[in-house]
Amino acid sequence: MDVQPRDPAEEIKGLERCINDLVSVLALPAMWSGGDPSRIVDTLLDALLGMLQVDLVYVRLKNPGSQAPIEMVRCPQSQKQMVQPHEIGEALKHWLGADAQEWPLLIRNPIRGRDLSMVPLGLGLQGEIGAIVAGSERADFPRQTERLILSVAANQASIGLQEARLRSEQKGVASELDRRVAQRTAELAAANEELRKEIAERWRAEENLRSSEEKHRLVVETASDAVISMDDHGTIQFANPATAIIFGYDPTELVGRPLTVLMPEFMRELHDRGFRRFLETGQRHINWRGTELSALRKDGQEFPVEVSFGELTRDGHKLFTGFIRDISERRQTADKLRASERDLSLIIETIPGLIWCAAPDGELTYLNQRLLDYTGTSHDDWAKRGWANLLHPDDAAPSAHAWAHAVASGQPHEGQFRLRRSDGVYRWFQVLGQAARDSEGGVVRWYGLLIDIHDRKYMEEALRESQAQLSRAIQKATVGEFAAAIAHEINQPLAAVVANGQACLRWLAAQPSDIAKAQEAAERIVRDGKESGEVVRRIRALFQQAALEKIELDLNEVIAEVLRLLNGETAKKRITVETDLDQDLAHVAGDRVQLQQLVFNLLLNGIEAMDPVVDRLKRLSIRSKHSSPETVLVEVRDSGIGLKDPERIFDAFFTTKENGMGMGLAICRSIVAAHQGRLWAATREGPGAIFSFTLPAKAGLAS
Amino acid sequence: MNSDSPVVFVVDDDHRVREALSSLISSAGLRVAVFGSAAEFLEYEKPDAPACLVLDLQLPGTSGLELQQQLVGGDAPPIVFISGHGDIPSSVRAMKAGAIEFLSKPFDDRELLQAIDSALDRDRIERQKRSELAELQRHYNLLTPREREVLPFVVAGFANKQTGADLGTSEITIGVHRGQIMRKMAAKSLAELVRMADKLGISRAAGTV
Repeated sequence: MDVQPRDPAEEIKGLERCINDLVSVLALPAMWSGGDPSRIVDTLLDALLGMLQVDLVYVRLKNPGSQAPIEMVRCPQSQKQMVQPHEIGEALKHWLGADAQEWPLLIRNPIRGRDLSMVPLGLGLQGEIGAIVAGSERADFPRQTERLILSVAANQASIGLQEARLRSEQKGVASELDRRVAQRTAELAAANEELRKEIAERWRAEENLRSSEEKHRLVVETASDAVISMDDHGTIQFANPATAIIFGYDPTELVGRPLTVLMPEFMRELHDRGFRRFLETGQRHINWRGTELSALRKDGQEFPVEVSFGELTRDGHKLFTGFIRDISERRQTADKLRASERDLSLIIETIPGLIWCAAPDGELTYLNQRLLDYTGTSHDDWAKRGWANLLHPDDAAPSAHAWAHAVASGQPHEGQFRLRRSDGVYRWFQVLGQAARDSEGGVVRWYGLLIDIHDRKYMEEALRESQAQLSRAIQKATVGEFAAAIAHEINQPLAAVVANGQACLRWLAAQPSDIAKAQEAAERIVRDGKESGEVVRRIRALFQQAALEKIELDLNEVIAEVLRLLNGETAKKRITVETDLDQDLAHVAGDRVQLQQLVFNLLLNGIEAMDPVVDRLKRLSIRSKHSSPETVLVEVRDSGIGLKDPERIFDAFFTTKENGMGMGLAICRSIVAAHQGRLWAATREGPGAIFSFTLPAKAGLAS
Repeated sequence: MNSDSPVVFVVDDDHRVREALSSLISSAGLRVAVFGSAAEFLEYEKPDAPACLVLDLQLPGTSGLELQQQLVGGDAPPIVFISGHGDIPSSVRAMKAGAIEFLSKPFDDRELLQAIDSALDRDRIERQKRSELAELQRHYNLLTPREREVLPFVVAGFANKQTGADLGTSEITIGVHRGQIMRKMAAKSLAELVRMADKLGISRAAGTV
């Protein structure tokens, strides 16, 4: 404090002011209470600027949180806008160095370039809080009072700032504590939530379990199978309601009783033994998944059941649960089915038919006993060799072919073949096969029958032969009658001529000759001779004028019909018949019966021409073709004795046969003539003859 | 030719054959009568003379074989069949039924005339037999009913006594009947009477012994 000669009143006033200012400064901490450092500094600076006549008040606070210090500056109103706190800070720093302790007390005003008397004061005991600097251009700065006030203010600010810093630190600790508490609280809350969820989950699981148990209970309660549990003593612990229906026991009366009450007497011992063994060794002596057993109803009736078992260990005790199904009906159905199968099998095995089955690929899968007996074979033989070995060699290939076709096409199989009987005799059979199909139409199996048609076939053949014979007989009878009629017609005048001739001779030879009578006889001869000629002419006219019923005909059909008629004859005489029929042969207009007779006569002629042949093959061939587009030609060739006189063979009554009438070929020629055709014969280069006829084709009627 | 001379009947539906046969048979010096059908022949009043029938097998209406069947047993003439085309079964039937010959047209005149001769000879014998039988029958008709009763016993060789016993009369009465029978029948001996009875078809009595 500098003491200058002053007016004492002034001095007193000054001192009073100083005391007032000190009081104000001392009152500052009360204002700062709870405030933060910047607010403390703010009020401090305002207070100092108001109390002291200074040009600059600057505070620098070390900021514990960062490198940059907090700087604040106050100037009187007139200088305020011209200076920034950090400019002051920089200026002071350059000027004074960083250490406030070493600051000079007098420095040049960094702003206005005039000298400033500076009072730097450290804040805190070691200046650790910061520094405060007051500066004035006044020369008397600082006065004693001013230095006092600044020191007190600096002390007060240090305390305030210290408190603020402390408070701030406490506040940080508190907030850290709060934060930790909050964090812990949150952690706890999360844990709680987790727990709650877990509980809910568990509850749901339990709920599910309860519901599932409920369901299982429902299943067991409503099951149509009996469900019975027993413990490891074989004592029944539980029985469901179905038990009552199946066994006749109320479930409650079963609980506590041994399981064996539900078994027939003979099974009980077995059960006990098996159960004991299982308990000891774990070895199951019956299948636990569905075993058919006998059970005993309360009323003592035995019935078949199917039983399945399950095993469960609870609290160290084993619990066995059996599911028992009454299979009486199923058994009955199965028995019936078996009986029906047995019947069916019996039928198949005993019916007098030969039955076979084959796989879709044609492989034989089944042959009934009769078929095996008939052929004297076993299933194995058939499996190995199939049909082929038992068929007649001539039938094997065509039959195999037909069967292959049926298998490939799925069409019904039908055919005839000779099957070898166990004694080696071949008999004719008709085979019939039908494919059984699934819902999609695929062949699943072939079923077949073999029918013995041997006798029938031979009967048919015999019948055909007798038909042929009959036909031939009719043919011959017709020819015979016809010949008789002609003979009669010719014979009558002939007989008269002969008789007249003889009479004539007698009259002439008589003594004396009766010339008149002889002449009469001779005249009758002439008359009757002429009449005979007339008869012959009339017969020929008869042939030609015979009203023909001409219809459109296929000569191939006619040939086939006649060949059928002659089948027996050719077979009997071991004649090989060859046909070469033009399938595109035009139709002809003709009388079916007459053309049949024509072909019949020509074929029969050929057959009979081969009768004497013993040293070579008897071959009869018939051929049809077009000799021109308008003409149909039929040729009949034989390998018989040939023709000695081809020119005469068509003459009526010309025959080389002992029994022949000599009319056959004459009739043939008449028939051909009546159809505007031509008939001729030729000797073959080899043995035999060729008879050919042509008929005009019916225009535009080719088949 | 007198009324006793043999006659040949010809039945044939063919006039040419009829004419020729008529001429031929005439040339052999035989009487001929020709007919176109069986009916014409049956209606014809036949002369009392040896005869034969030349018959065609095939006739309209009644056939040759049918006519032959109708004529069997009567005093019909022997038959020579002629046929346009003789079939064996027909000829066999004809021959079994007593035909003399079966000729197929045309036939040889000698065959025919020979057959006709045979037939006429046969007819002559038959006529003789028939006339003898008629004479016997005439004698037999003279017998009383009782004599006709006795006759079988006589021809069987029964003694009068036994016959009498069988017929319930005396030996003497039978002897009288026997004498009457011998006289009326003009039998010279028992043997002749036996032959006569045979011809008349009288069977011998079996009688009780």
